[in-house]
Amino acid sequence: MKLVDIELTSPTETIERLEEYDALRALIRLHGVPIAWVRMPVTDGRCEATALRQAVLDRHQWVIIMHLLRDTLGASRPTEVSLTALLGVPHPTFSAPFPSVTVAVCTRDRAADLAQCLEALTALDYDPLEVLVVDNAPKTDATARLVADQFPHFRYVREPRPGLDWARNRAILEARGEIIAYTDDDVIVDRGWVRAIAALFAEHPDAMAVTGLVVPYELETEAQILFERYGGFGRGFERKWYRVDSRAGQKTAKLHGGSGKFGTGANMAYRRILFDRIGGFDPALDIGTVTNGGGDLEMFFRVLKEGHALVYEPAALVRHRHRREYAQLRTQLTNNGIGFYSHLVRSALAYPDERGGFIRLGVWWFWWWSLRRLLISFRHPSSFPRDLILAELWGSLVGLSRYRKAHRRAADIDAAFGPPERVTVSEVSVSS
Amino acid sequence: MSAPARPSTVAVRTVDLRDSVQPLTDVRDFRSVQIFVLWDGRAIGSAWIDNHYQPISAARLREAISSWLFGKLLKTMLARELASNDPGGSSGDGARLPVDIPVSIVVATRDRPDGLRQCLRCLVAQASPRPVEIVVVDNHPASGLTPPVIAEFPGVVLVQEERRGLAYARNKGFLASRGAIVVATDDDVTMPPTWLEDLVAPFADPEVMVVTGNVLPRELDTTAQQLFESYGGLGRGFESFRVVDGKWFRRFRAAVPTWKLGGTANAAFRATIFDHPNIGLLDEALGAGMPTGCSEDTYLFYKVLKASYTIVYEPAAYVWHKHRRDMAALRRQIYDYSKGHVAYHLTTLLRDRDLRALVRLGYELPWAHLWRIWTRIRRKGPYPVSLILTEIAGNLNGPWALFQARRLVRRQGLSRGRA
Repeated sequence: MKLVDIELTSPTETIERLEEYDALRALIRLHGVPIAWVRMPVTDGRCEATALRQAVLDRHQWVIIMHLLRDTLGASRPTEVSLTALLGVPHPTFSAPFPSVTVAVCTRDRAADLAQCLEALTALDYDPLEVLVVDNAPKTDATARLVADQFPHFRYVREPRPGLDWARNRAILEARGEIIAYTDDDVIVDRGWVRAIAALFAEHPDAMAVTGLVVPYELETEAQILFERYGGFGRGFERKWYRVDSRAGQKTAKLHGGSGKFGTGANMAYRRILFDRIGGFDPALDIGTVTNGGGDLEMFFRVLKEGHALVYEPAALVRHRHRREYAQLRTQLTNNGIGFYSHLVRSALAYPDERGGFIRLGVWWFWWWSLRRLLISFRHPSSFPRDLILAELWGSLVGLSRYRKAHRRAADIDAAFGPPERVTVSEVSVSS
Repeated sequence: MSAPARPSTVAVRTVDLRDSVQPLTDVRDFRSVQIFVLWDGRAIGSAWIDNHYQPISAARLREAISSWLFGKLLKTMLARELASNDPGGSSGDGARLPVDIPVSIVVATRDRPDGLRQCLRCLVAQASPRPVEIVVVDNHPASGLTPPVIAEFPGVVLVQEERRGLAYARNKGFLASRGAIVVATDDDVTMPPTWLEDLVAPFADPEVMVVTGNVLPRELDTTAQQLFESYGGLGRGFESFRVVDGKWFRRFRAAVPTWKLGGTANAAFRATIFDHPNIGLLDEALGAGMPTGCSEDTYLFYKVLKASYTIVYEPAAYVWHKHRRDMAALRRQIYDYSKGHVAYHLTTLLRDRDLRALVRLGYELPWAHLWRIWTRIRRKGPYPVSLILTEIAGNLNGPWALFQARRLVRRQGLSRGRA
């Protein structure tokens, strides 16, 4: 399946040279803001512009009109805009001082992927911007050399403690921007990614965390298509506001314990001052530890639990290169199970008042997501590969015991390395 | 069982789309905001934002308004465009009542000088080209609280009605006023300057005898005020409708839902109906101040429809009503409404031999209560069971209240020789 972008404000063009694909998936954007998907068949290796336009209008007319109307409300005289003039209304932009942003890419021994990621970061249309590459316990110096040779304008920091959340915390220490936007080395960011995040933070002083839309970079293999069918990383095209009203007795675990709905660590951003208030990422979680994930989920939960606002902003768009191989996908789904249940255990331990909610959530999710889907797979064998469902189910069970283990290991690492200190840039460049 | 402890307060704000949507910065004391959206001075609907004690940005406001009022905005734009293509401008919207037709506004008040003063300020500020007379009826002259307020507003006519009861007071005002159109309103509302002209515009059609308008909450600070809105409030939505004569009236197998047509907090009448043999004045036994508590307006609507005239609901003519702030007052009010509701149906049964009242009282109403209790038990709504029980108590007391009220009216006499 071929993936393309369609910007509605520019003329739609016929897409050619699609011989290798049987279908096309177009991300529809209006003024750069992603608003919908359209799936089109490919005939004779082409997809005609007229057919594409027609499909967009047939399926997404209301979304388009909604966005035009929304823009109209920002016009100087909304009641005087006529229906025919809707298309001409400029997209309202926020014009106030924008915050400085640090983009943090945490990576480990994946120089080839990282090069593409950094390439995209070079193209970002934002200033003042700092890009920080955090090299997490690398086995080789390939990453250090890549940054020094090809991206000398980016900062390189090495975090020797193994574990993604150690690297994320290193970024908090090193970042000079008011906003820290995290992404992964297998992500290609959209040109306007940081601008969208910064605009949201600038216009909403109460927003402390922002997650964004993650779309697939390519859907070339079966495994990649399966991952999208599984749910992917995208969380829709509507901006969503999350905040818990504990004064009114709302329970965070009950409402938002399943924090995967907010997005993923491949596209998340925080005000740096937030970490002074609620602490950094839990180093016992996520890749590089036995929990294999959950560091992002746990942080989303903690943001809400501590009374801060989290916003899902679909205009902040990145593309994620899903695992190409089936075996990799299976491992990832196992890790999703482990990571999610590790987050549940960790957060339940940290917040005794939420335990009831977490237990209910853990049981319900196991039934609803794993067992129920497993049963369905017996009735409809083609719906989703059973071994993938079992992989995640297994991960969920394993995940229950992993956090304590990882926690002890993190304490050992802490003892071995001592507290993290800020590393200056010059020190690092010596090592490269 | 009591209402759950919710410290949530709701701000009421208006956003006028004459200008670009601006951030709401003064809502830090509120958990949520209800935003009424104005288009050319008309309230076209409302949006709701849970802002959690934070200011609301323009982007979020645009988002909420466009999502909540998507269809309404499109429809409004379309209507305006079609109207501008229509050179005659003869659509119902454009028709205005001739400017030489005089209007009287009757405000009934009882010892609420501050509210009355606010209301009168709005009334004298009405932008209307026609002769407008303002009549205030003091329903408690003994207190002496009302005349000083009237003295601040030269030209406002003060009449007194010692017999307690909103229907007595309004009737007195109706009889004292000279306008061809008589507008009724209360001392606890305020209104925009365009209100009067929007409210009387439908009278351009000679079949129209009554026009009612929308009633929006001025504030939702307290739980009692929010609950009053979930009870149903006083507004009847943002869509205009016209109840065309007796066809609508006769359509129902159960009782005619005249209470869905609005109320005299914001209503206008063609003065001729008061002399109509089958319509006449408000029924003195119904309404606030009487044991029955309310429904004098509803029964008048009933008689108007029965006489095959037209009632129009015009949401463009909206007023802001200040709901009772404390729970005790809310409970009393809901109790009164429930009493009056039953008294109204009994009146249609006894006076008009309308057997449909029995369907309402014997079947619909009990089921409605049971359904709402069931809804509450499943936590599907905010309306507490204790208030539903209050309503049931009020309903049960309705017949006795009507009996008492009738006895009182017999002793005190009618508003004029005979109704």
